[in-house]
Amino acid sequence: MLWYIIKRIGASIVTLFLILGITFFLMNMVPGSPFLTEKSTPEQIALANAKYGLDKPLLVQFKNYVVNYLQGDLGVSLKMQEGTPVKDILFGQGKFQLSIKLGLISLLVAVIIGIPLGCIAAYNRGKWLDGFLRVMTTVGVAIPTFVLATLLLALFAVKLQWLPTLSGSLTSPKEYIMPIISLSFYYMCYIAKLTRTSMLDAINQDYIRTARAKGVTTRTLIIKHALRNSLIPVITYLGPVIAGIITGSFVIESTFSIPGLGKYFVQSVLSRDYTVIMATTFVLSSLVIIMNLFVDIAYKIVDPRITLSSQED
Amino acid sequence: MEENKNLLEVKDLKVSFFTPAGEVKAVNGISYTLGYNEVMGIVGESGSGKSVEAYSLIGLLANPGKVVGGSVTFEGEDLLAYTPEQMREFRGNKVSMIFQNPMTCLNPVYTIGDQLMEALTCHDKNIKKEEARAKAIEMLELVGINNASKRVDQYPHEFSGGMRQRAMIAMALICSPKLLIADEPTTALDVTIQAQILELMKSLQKKENTSIIFITHNLGVVAEICDRVSVMYAGHIVEQATVEDLFYHPMHPYTKGLLASQPRLDADGHERLIPIEGTPIDLLNPPQGCNFGPRCKDCMKICLREKPPYADLGNGHISACWLHYKDLKKEEENK
Amino acid sequence: MSDMNLSKLSPFRVDADELIEKFGLKEDDFEKANETEKESMVEMHKSVSFWADAWRRFRANTVSMVALGVFILTLIFAFIGPMIVPYTYSDQFRNAQKLGPMEYSEDEQAILNVAGLCDAFYATSLNPGSLTALSKGDYYFTYKGTTYAFNLEHAMEKKVILLNVEGYDDAVIVVKESDIEEDGTFEEYEVLETTSEASEGATEIELKTSIFPHVFGTDSQGRDIMVRTMFGARVSIIIGIVAALIVLVIGSIYGSISGFAGGKVDFVMMRIVELIYSIPEILIVLLLQVVLKDPLQAWFDSSKSSFAQAMSDLGTGIVSIFITFALLYWVTMARIVRGQVLQLKKQEYVTAATALGASSSRIIRKHLLPNCVGQLVITTCLQIPSAIFTESFLSFLGMGVSAPMASLGSLCSDALETISLYPYRLVFPAVVLSIIVLSLNLVGDGLRDALDPRLKK
Repeated sequence: MLWYIIKRIGASIVTLFLILGITFFLMNMVPGSPFLTEKSTPEQIALANAKYGLDKPLLVQFKNYVVNYLQGDLGVSLKMQEGTPVKDILFGQGKFQLSIKLGLISLLVAVIIGIPLGCIAAYNRGKWLDGFLRVMTTVGVAIPTFVLATLLLALFAVKLQWLPTLSGSLTSPKEYIMPIISLSFYYMCYIAKLTRTSMLDAINQDYIRTARAKGVTTRTLIIKHALRNSLIPVITYLGPVIAGIITGSFVIESTFSIPGLGKYFVQSVLSRDYTVIMATTFVLSSLVIIMNLFVDIAYKIVDPRITLSSQED
Repeated sequence: MEENKNLLEVKDLKVSFFTPAGEVKAVNGISYTLGYNEVMGIVGESGSGKSVEAYSLIGLLANPGKVVGGSVTFEGEDLLAYTPEQMREFRGNKVSMIFQNPMTCLNPVYTIGDQLMEALTCHDKNIKKEEARAKAIEMLELVGINNASKRVDQYPHEFSGGMRQRAMIAMALICSPKLLIADEPTTALDVTIQAQILELMKSLQKKENTSIIFITHNLGVVAEICDRVSVMYAGHIVEQATVEDLFYHPMHPYTKGLLASQPRLDADGHERLIPIEGTPIDLLNPPQGCNFGPRCKDCMKICLREKPPYADLGNGHISACWLHYKDLKKEEENK
Repeated sequence: MSDMNLSKLSPFRVDADELIEKFGLKEDDFEKANETEKESMVEMHKSVSFWADAWRRFRANTVSMVALGVFILTLIFAFIGPMIVPYTYSDQFRNAQKLGPMEYSEDEQAILNVAGLCDAFYATSLNPGSLTALSKGDYYFTYKGTTYAFNLEHAMEKKVILLNVEGYDDAVIVVKESDIEEDGTFEEYEVLETTSEASEGATEIELKTSIFPHVFGTDSQGRDIMVRTMFGARVSIIIGIVAALIVLVIGSIYGSISGFAGGKVDFVMMRIVELIYSIPEILIVLLLQVVLKDPLQAWFDSSKSSFAQAMSDLGTGIVSIFITFALLYWVTMARIVRGQVLQLKKQEYVTAATALGASSSRIIRKHLLPNCVGQLVITTCLQIPSAIFTESFLSFLGMGVSAPMASLGSLCSDALETISLYPYRLVFPAVVLSIIVLSLNLVGDGLRDALDPRLKK
């Protein structure tokens, strides 16, 4: 187990390094400099480049990023809020915490509601409840996150005024309702669909027949024998869910004007603020990768076979 | 009376699969009896309905299969009239089953011990955990698994194929059932392991006084373990006899064909194996006459038209073939 | 064969007469049957080809069939719709901003009022026995108390009936088309007062007999939302299909090579896949959008090849989406194909082919790919909605397609600003987007049920 975790951590660090590398070289592929505006003279640009070390060779620049990140230094913003430490931009005023909170709650909602829904559908296969859930989940995975978000906003905040239009700081619990529903609904439906399918698949396995031959009750059959096996594909899917929820927050944060992390990534990309792009990529990717690590460990706990065959896919 | 003599009586059992292409009569009226402490083999090619018949006995038929007729009596009780809950209580307790592929038949995410203990706990809610565990270890030892107290906490993937099948047998016998249905239990195993498993089943059968229905396509296995044999072809029992009668005096052309197509241990090694020509019939469109007719080298005109009746050849040996009536017809002519 | 009776029939004990009577035995019944007779017994079930069988199962699936129908309707909406509607995605109509669904602007209402007068307009001057063209210029007439102005740019306007009758100087008279005889003469008409003098407060109109309604209304720049939705749907569908094909090609080539090569090659290739898989794609997609914009634009401007021209029509945003898919999104497909290949590789016919000396590429082409085809079709079909989602996501964030071109995502994004006042502007493109994705998902599910051999039992 320990060896397994160490191996996974190693792989995660390689991935993170790779993502940073890709981001860095993509950023620098664009001709020109972030300081290029209509008014700026070549001298001013050169000066600014020198000030922030952009005149150094790319590899040196990249090495500096990595070394600084290892020391916990995220650098200063080049453009958006020139001179402000990126740390303050990303973590100031609880932005990071807000994004994390939103993401984690949405993930939990998607998993905790999605899996039981899938089980209920599989258990009631062919009955009206299954039919209803199938319609709901099928429609659910056909509605893009931003559409759901805007429709909720229009309906509950503007028309019915049941829920507050957003103040931007998410102070009351009520304000969390719409962002979390919009962020988690798609994944909840997807997980429910996946659970149902893999559950029905598991029910057709030989070991279920063995259990039935033993005289196991239907309830135990589903909950004990089928569910744990059918969770394996669901857990595999959690990796993309986490990445999806974190990037999905870009849209949610701009729709509900929540001052989270995602919003800054989009803004920094658009304004070519190199240090902010790199730092946000670093923070978000680390988040995704760490969560994936947990998923891998959960995977191993649910499926004991991983011990022997982790390298065989 | 008869109820006391026989553990299981199957009368005219019919099982059909309702597929989009039409009704497939997988089991089309079979009857047999099984006494206490008896081992009966059911032999046939794949698709002959032997497994379906066994599943239908204990309500394990998967959709779209359905029992459409006949009766199954177990110790005087009508199994087909059982409610699902009664059937569940009955399964694993009085009748248990072992399956062909030990690789897929054990749940990969629970330990062997868990799965053995479950067989106990789902029939006896009051049993203590330690008790169940002790029983599980005892059963594993009984089926010849070394170091059982350690093995009990391992997962199926840590067991070899033969050991898994031993564990399956332990699981099937843990409630001391009266009847064990073994569906090709040795087919997926290596030959040496096969022999070990058969040896084990034989000794356990004696020790536990369990009746066994042994389903296989391998006549060699049948000779090893069974008292009586039913040969199935296309949903019918075509011949039924004691193991000696069947091997030394096979009467039905299909049985003869089967015997000729399999190597025999007592042969001198120069005998050629003769395959049965043709393929099994399409159960969606069974022929009007004898099901085996199209592949039978002795096929007669009557076989094209009428299904043959059983001929009682004495000593419980029955066979469904028109050939047995051929001489009778001659006799008639001679009159 | 009720054997309980028959088992009592023993040839050694039974009465032969009884047997003969029961089965109607004939003289020759116990003679050997010949081969043809034996063959005639067997009526083999007609074997159905894989695809015919799959198609039968797909058709039996009502939900998927309906979804397929709906998807075809959206295709018609997206590809044939713009030919029917006389607007394009960039047309801006004066005074027609912010109209609700089925509403007309004042200009259009005026045209409709006049259009109600007759079946058609012809701009001519009428002399006895001949139709002469009305000269160019501005004309005014009064109808039901409102003065209308119209402009004739061409001497003769088809479709327009405006007759300058002798004796009624510069008068507009209205004639029903059915009242005009074959020789161009007519008797029934209505006279409208006209003048070529400028008239105060006249409503300018175009002479048309009908106005195509703005079914979904118009946006703040006076563009018809329905036609923009049609173009948006077209863009989204094209993106979805092209991206799915890119993924299909790259993924299946990579996957089959990896699975087929096995060993170290497979190990390395799969580690690469794992790495790419764990990259949060959207981060890279966003970067690529910005990064690729200028180089692509430069390429479009410099290159004269028809390929570059076609790409340029799509715009840099969409092309960057394709590139992103080609770079990052094929990993799932590669994994699926590899899994299939590994599974199939164990099959005996592949071993047999190898033993016969078939080359690797031949085995891939002739044996492996045809057997994975079901999985490929399903995965590709389900890839389309995912590409559409990605595109709409980018457009929603203000990347993706650039104005005035529309995609369903950019339409939703545009609508967001005015969501509280004009919610229908969001609803129409959002519903179309959802319908496309929903129907494709359902078709994909149906294909899976129809093609997955595991369910074929």
